[in-house]
Amino acid sequence: MRKYISRQNLNTLIDKLIAEGRRIVAPRMTAGTPLYEPLGHSGEMIIDQLPRRSAKEAFFPLCEEIMSYEKSGQQVKLTDVDPSRFPETILFAVRPCDAAAIPVLDAVFSWDYKDEFFLERRRKTTVVGLACTTADDACFCTAVGLSPSDTKGSDLFLSPLEGGGYNVESFTEKGEALINSCSDLFAEESNAAYIQLANPQTEAFDLKKVKSWLDEHFEDQLWDGIATRCVGCGACAFVCPACHCFDIVDEGTEKAGKRRKNWDACGFWKFTHHASGHNPRDLQPKRYRNRIMHKFKYYDDKFGQTLCTGCGRCVRICPVGIDIAAIVEEINQK
Amino acid sequence: MNSQLIDTSIYADISRFIRDESLRILLEGEVIAVVGYAAGRRKGSVQPIIACDTESAGRLMFSQASVNNLAVYLTKAKKEIPKSGKIGIVLKGCDLKALVGLIGESQLKREDLYLIGVPCSGVLASTVHPATELATETIAPKCLECDAHLPTGCDFVPDVALPPQQKSDLKYAVEIARLEALTPAERWAYWKEQFSKCIKCYACRQVCPFCFCEQCLCDRNKPQMVETTPRPAGNTAWHIVRAMHLAGRCAGCAECERVCPMDIPLNLLNRKMAKELKELFDYEPGFEVNDKGPLASFTDKDDQSFIK
Amino acid sequence: MCDNANKNIYLPYLTTVMEVIDETPDVRTLRLEFQDDNISETFAFRAGQFAEYSAFGAGESTFCIASSPTRAGYIECSFRSVGRVTEELRRLEVGDTMGVRGPYGNSYPIESFYGKNMVFVAGGIALPPLRTLIWNCLDLRDKFGDITIVYGARTEADLVYKRELNEWQERSDVRLVKTVDPGGNSPAWDGKVGFVPTILEEAAPVAENTIALVCGPPIMIKFTLPVLEKLGFGDDQVYTTLENRMKCGLGKCGRCNVGNIYVCKDGPVFTAKQIKAMPMEF
Repeated sequence: MRKYISRQNLNTLIDKLIAEGRRIVAPRMTAGTPLYEPLGHSGEMIIDQLPRRSAKEAFFPLCEEIMSYEKSGQQVKLTDVDPSRFPETILFAVRPCDAAAIPVLDAVFSWDYKDEFFLERRRKTTVVGLACTTADDACFCTAVGLSPSDTKGSDLFLSPLEGGGYNVESFTEKGEALINSCSDLFAEESNAAYIQLANPQTEAFDLKKVKSWLDEHFEDQLWDGIATRCVGCGACAFVCPACHCFDIVDEGTEKAGKRRKNWDACGFWKFTHHASGHNPRDLQPKRYRNRIMHKFKYYDDKFGQTLCTGCGRCVRICPVGIDIAAIVEEINQK
Repeated sequence: MNSQLIDTSIYADISRFIRDESLRILLEGEVIAVVGYAAGRRKGSVQPIIACDTESAGRLMFSQASVNNLAVYLTKAKKEIPKSGKIGIVLKGCDLKALVGLIGESQLKREDLYLIGVPCSGVLASTVHPATELATETIAPKCLECDAHLPTGCDFVPDVALPPQQKSDLKYAVEIARLEALTPAERWAYWKEQFSKCIKCYACRQVCPFCFCEQCLCDRNKPQMVETTPRPAGNTAWHIVRAMHLAGRCAGCAECERVCPMDIPLNLLNRKMAKELKELFDYEPGFEVNDKGPLASFTDKDDQSFIK
Repeated sequence: MCDNANKNIYLPYLTTVMEVIDETPDVRTLRLEFQDDNISETFAFRAGQFAEYSAFGAGESTFCIASSPTRAGYIECSFRSVGRVTEELRRLEVGDTMGVRGPYGNSYPIESFYGKNMVFVAGGIALPPLRTLIWNCLDLRDKFGDITIVYGARTEADLVYKRELNEWQERSDVRLVKTVDPGGNSPAWDGKVGFVPTILEEAAPVAENTIALVCGPPIMIKFTLPVLEKLGFGDDQVYTTLENRMKCGLGKCGRCNVGNIYVCKDGPVFTAKQIKAMPMEF
């Protein structure tokens, strides 16, 4: 289904949905930082800045309760978390690099055991993608087979037009349902020219070639060269739309508390550290190698997909300027 | 206030001096590596480099994007740097203060190091693209309060004339004054909102030269002093632990604040601590090695008014 | 595939500690019974599988199920207290409640071992992942040929399952070769003195039609594999289990991976052939 919506009507749509009690999550400023957060009204939405953290947290929050425990004497009472309490949510103005990561994450959270925390949110969330008009030189979506107008992962996709407003295309029943729920705000698809989209200046990687090099080079001096300067924080993994490693911890008192699942990162020394003292990835280059391998080889081996959408967040925020696009480009040139 | 450009014309000369001196000390075997800066892929971007050969030493440079405090690579938590010989390191004045602090804390030995000091007019704020020109609006706030533009006590300092420094608003001083004027409840609300953004990536810890603990309190779980999840309790506890542990030690490089992916103004905590230290103990980090920091020593002049 | 649709995969079953056995000064075995009768009846596992054990308030820890699937109604785990969770688990007393999630991971392909000789080689605290299979084999004794167990520890005190070692020693259908490292024996010690690989070489089990199962610290495994090779064992006749750090046990959290292998799903049981093809990250 293809339609048109004016900027004014998009705001009306958002405000109407909020008034109906729907949870709308979109980029907005939170304590001075752009983040995907619930909107109070449409005026809070910002579309010209890439949120600092990706949209994955709409499905896989930084931290969530997975159960609670209560002890009395020798007995323990567990209380389950009911996923049906997760609210129906509409994610607005999601960048293509963020939206594209969502189906990539579906693979790991739904193979074999089903993680209902992720999957129930996934079922209850409508993703409204927005074509990207603001790339910088950290962006490299075009290098990993995506583009500023890629609709992967979007239920509904907005393409901005000259003179304001958006052409809207729906790809799923959820997308159509959203249009149908307020059909009076949408008009027939417009013939107006599209706004010039972002144009990341990166050549496409040959991802097959990159993977086949990684297949053969678990041991390579490249890893030492890159990763000696890695200081071992988790910033790259935490801002990444595709990184999904997590920890499980109990927090509370002796008597009662909660078990929580929270983001973790393979860059931390503690990630693979055994209580015995043994650590299979004892040095930072081994940990950084795992990051590249997981994204461009292991995930592909396991699920047939690349675990990177080229959003460039890790490139922008790495405290020591480690640039994954430059590294993969170097591998691509080998 | 209008933004005024800051003269960085000396950085090209400094880059040449750093390369020449690094090549010399590497070739003459005086050092086994030089920790410095090299250009990255993105326009204007700079990244740390550990140069062990002439090829990589030839890439050394300095610019307004040379933001990192490289002293972090010398502390013992970063085990990958060779320790089999003397190490050369490129330092701005603020970085040198941190290194001097580490020597004072017996983490480093002066004789194991070859210090290349950089006369520095300032580096860029974390909020701007690395290719941005240095100006009063794009400079890192710490540089506006810098009293260490010209390092002393180094083995080598490029012979260039530092242009006069621009006068500008002191952002930290102004912000601290603003926060001090708030009620405790208002201040708490401010920090609560800031800490709520924390994602526990520990970038602030990992770049801090003084966070050299072999195992951070926050990584220990027997007992679990600080909750590990990125929630208000654990976030607040972590940032208070961090600020208190750095009081009297922090040299003001502001790396913690620069690297925070969530823009938490961490250096405000450090500056506030520094202000207290100045008032209580007349202490300021400098270029001279102190064997005992202000909180690790006692004199009868110390304020004792807390004893009631 | 697992039929867990719409269930919370992270929610443990509740069990009651029925018995506490101190194996060594720091290794303890707990016998657990499920509190829910339905679970007790339906909980089925295979030798080699592991579980996530909860000490509520401290978290979860990963160990193999150390009892045999042929012994229904309970499960056992054995662990050394080294971390926060295992120290809490050690505080549990008979009657206390403990959480169990599982069973997880693959298992020993025991049916393919029918008709073959079995050689078990274990060191120190690594006997539990073999003990489950040893009892499984002994409970189906006529399905197997010769059964040899080579087990060693640093000292006599560090040997686990001492009562069972005695039982195996008494049995005519089991050959038990027990050993302690030089200096680890008392005057009364009736076993061998020497490192496991050396003692294994001395014991020289025939390789033909035999499966070898090896569990122990990395250093023991490193020196045992060449001995097996020398004795004529092919890499697909040799099995071991990997014990990477895990959190979820479900193929999600990304912690246990060795290359593209999820130890929690594709393992923990691997042949020497598979291990040799893996990157060295375990």
